[in-house]
Amino acid sequence: MQWTKKDLLCLYDLSAEEIEFILDTAAEFKKVSERRVKKVPALRGKTVVNLFVEPSTRTRVSFELAEQRLSADIVNMQAQSSSLLKGETLLDTVRNIEALQVDLVVMRHSAPGAQAFIARNLKCGVVNAGDGAHSHPTQALLDIFTVREKKGRIAGLKVAIIGDILHSRVARSNIWGLLKLGAQVTVAGPATLVPREFEEIGVRVCHNLREAVADADVVNLLRIQHERQTAGFFPSTGEYARFFGINDETLKYMKPDVLIMHPGPINRGVELTGDVADGEHSVILEQVTNGLAIRMAVLYLVAGCVKK
Amino acid sequence: MSEYILKNARVIDPGRNVDSIGDIGVRDGVIEAPEKLHSPEVIDLSGKVLSPGFIDLHVHLRQPGNTQAETIATGTAAAAAGGFTSIVAMPNTTPAADNAGAIEFLRQNAAAQGVVHVLPCGNMTKEGKGQEMSGIGSLKSAGVVALSDDGRCIQDHALMRHVVEYAKSFELPILDHCEDNQLAAGGVMHEGKWSVLLGMRGISGASEELMIARNIILARQIDWQIHMQHVSVRESVKLLRAARAEGIRVTGEATPHHIALTDECIKRYDTNYKMNPPLRSESDRQAVIEGLADGTLTAIATDHAPHTRTAKEVEFDSAPCGIIGLETALPVSYTILVKGGVLTLPQLIRLFTAGPAEILRFKNYDLAVGSVADITVIDPEACWTVDKNTFRSKSRNTPFHGMSVQCRPVLTMVAGKIVHREF
Amino acid sequence: MTLRKQLYSAAEMEEAIARMANAVAAAFPHPGAECALVGIHQLGVPLAERLRDAIRGITGQAPEFGKLDISMYRDDIGNRNPLPLIRETEIDFDVNDRIIILVDDVLSSGRTIRAALDALTDYGRPRMIRLAVLVDRGEPEYPIRADFVGFTSSLPADRKVAVSFGGDELAPGIYEVDWKK
Repeated sequence: MQWTKKDLLCLYDLSAEEIEFILDTAAEFKKVSERRVKKVPALRGKTVVNLFVEPSTRTRVSFELAEQRLSADIVNMQAQSSSLLKGETLLDTVRNIEALQVDLVVMRHSAPGAQAFIARNLKCGVVNAGDGAHSHPTQALLDIFTVREKKGRIAGLKVAIIGDILHSRVARSNIWGLLKLGAQVTVAGPATLVPREFEEIGVRVCHNLREAVADADVVNLLRIQHERQTAGFFPSTGEYARFFGINDETLKYMKPDVLIMHPGPINRGVELTGDVADGEHSVILEQVTNGLAIRMAVLYLVAGCVKK
Repeated sequence: MSEYILKNARVIDPGRNVDSIGDIGVRDGVIEAPEKLHSPEVIDLSGKVLSPGFIDLHVHLRQPGNTQAETIATGTAAAAAGGFTSIVAMPNTTPAADNAGAIEFLRQNAAAQGVVHVLPCGNMTKEGKGQEMSGIGSLKSAGVVALSDDGRCIQDHALMRHVVEYAKSFELPILDHCEDNQLAAGGVMHEGKWSVLLGMRGISGASEELMIARNIILARQIDWQIHMQHVSVRESVKLLRAARAEGIRVTGEATPHHIALTDECIKRYDTNYKMNPPLRSESDRQAVIEGLADGTLTAIATDHAPHTRTAKEVEFDSAPCGIIGLETALPVSYTILVKGGVLTLPQLIRLFTAGPAEILRFKNYDLAVGSVADITVIDPEACWTVDKNTFRSKSRNTPFHGMSVQCRPVLTMVAGKIVHREF
Repeated sequence: MTLRKQLYSAAEMEEAIARMANAVAAAFPHPGAECALVGIHQLGVPLAERLRDAIRGITGQAPEFGKLDISMYRDDIGNRNPLPLIRETEIDFDVNDRIIILVDDVLSSGRTIRAALDALTDYGRPRMIRLAVLVDRGEPEYPIRADFVGFTSSLPADRKVAVSFGGDELAPGIYEVDWKK
């Protein structure tokens, strides 16, 4: 098959074949970062704008490095320094960017659907780096890539996602990708943060950690955000850690070859203890490495579809 | 001095329980027996259906304050094209219609520029802020037909109680936008499976249910009319059904979009599907339809809410709520309800005529000789495709563009003057 | 693709590969120590495997072996067709100071080889790079010359030469086909 989409917005829109295509492409790009010259000319002469209306450090750096290793020219724009603050609409901002003849826009925004909205209105390609609580496709792709590398497959694996599912774009994207590739997905966390509606798409929902992770091949831990505590969703991070945190005790009833994952940045002592984060089950740092490969693959593929 | 004979129409007049082929005569803006006319223009309406003029209880004319989106002139033109002869103008203009001067402005402008009857509605509270009662007596003298804070809902129950008691003494019905602000929690779409899958903040159905329950209690205690605008949730319909069975004076309306669409539409992030109350689940949609079929809900009202393209062409979270509806109300309702086999045509026509008239406390809203000649003629067999570029409204924010529909308003007559005619 | 006619049989192909292997062995008597064959995806890879086996048969030594996908080095990303899947690049030996023999099935425009040269030099600094192709169509668009050639072909530019080692739509052999629309 061939890649035919000019945008990457949400894993919901991709077929299983398309997801595998990205993973196979990323496998080759991973090798680029392992050799002497960590760069290929694939996007030479192409301009990529990183428009981070919702701020980010880690994802933006990962995208920037991916773009540099593809030899692209990069422009960084963040909300604080952009005209959005002056009252320009998002669409006008992006149209102005497009008028500078850029090839790709990598965008993060706090409103779900913002990237889908601008992608409909632009000729250049759009890569979604996160839109509110809706979607973070490259994160899910790198998570799935990491699992596939370690376990050799996705189909039939049991994956548990733990934490604030309600507000998590990482959870949603992982759920779509994993279901498409045939994994069995469980979500777990405090009842206020894990909506039952996910059962309607075939995900198991539970509010008990042991039940969720006892037979899991992969456990993906989401970052718990302080704002949720102040908004009344759960009483304290201490209580969260006690009932949903992974520590050496919980490892005892988990599978001996379980993978522990986390999109980062980790809160040591909350979602997981320091020992678990640094321990033999953790692939958290490999996720970061794989993230670079995935983003190189995604940028390469969508750039190939943007016709001049 | 115009005279017309409207011949051979299927006359459906819910006010007098009439459904038969006949002729209607009009002279000097009033219904007259055809044989008494001297030199009438004869219009043959074979194959068409004629009824009393449609009334829309819920229209935002946007003037004063947002004339880029709509004016009284363009809004009433849209109403005429949609088959409406009377519209109730919501008071959330800028400045708000919370005083006699604002109502007077509306009446004068409507008299000069409007082509259908514009029935003013005044705010229950000053500026619709839900804090201090507005001058309800003065509003009545200025000519309002009802009171509403539409767009918002009085959260303070004690204040709402006073408003209802006071309104009763002036015989003004209350039209309430039922929403509990805390349960609505800043959401942008219905709280349900789709808001969870799309990662959007949801507006719980409980927010509407709670205020409907509040209003039922007050209507019962005070024995006055409270009408629930844009009912959208299954449990709301249930509450109304039970309350009406007890004889409590509560009524409800449904919009064409709540009859036709659900929250799944929002997965495309098209802001033409964003309104308040939001599109709900399929189960809620079915319950609203059942409510219209069994007489729990007695009116269809559009909540016509124009917005400029610029205002709506933003990310979903930031978009203003509301869609236009005057020119699609009849075809969409007919297609879903009559063509869909849920209602007969006379039942549908009642929802646009006798139903709203009763809510507004009009006596004898029908085509008896001597009545004002407000007439709507429709072609129930016409099949066509909605094209928003032909709308008379200034705005284009509709989700129905491109929809295949059946039934078309072909002639609208307001006080004996033809304001819309397609043949 | 539509087959027009067969140009060479499988037996003629085997013979040509043997001739090329002899030429390589003559030029580089110690291929195991000095040389590396790098096959360019897709058909350069099976061709390079057969060359390697033939060279081993002649000299008793097999040169180092690698595979190269040049997709990341193409100069036409976004201008032409949708991108196909990138195949595996494997250069496990040290490129520095080695004699690299790039292997591809057909030399036509020379742009693939140009990309391969860029890719290869990102792995290190070879002593020398040579090119082995099964079919040289002559008149490349870039100044690229093949050093070890199986067949020359003077078909006009609107005809495509397709090589097959079996395992696809065609039996092993070399064919003239129409360009896929």
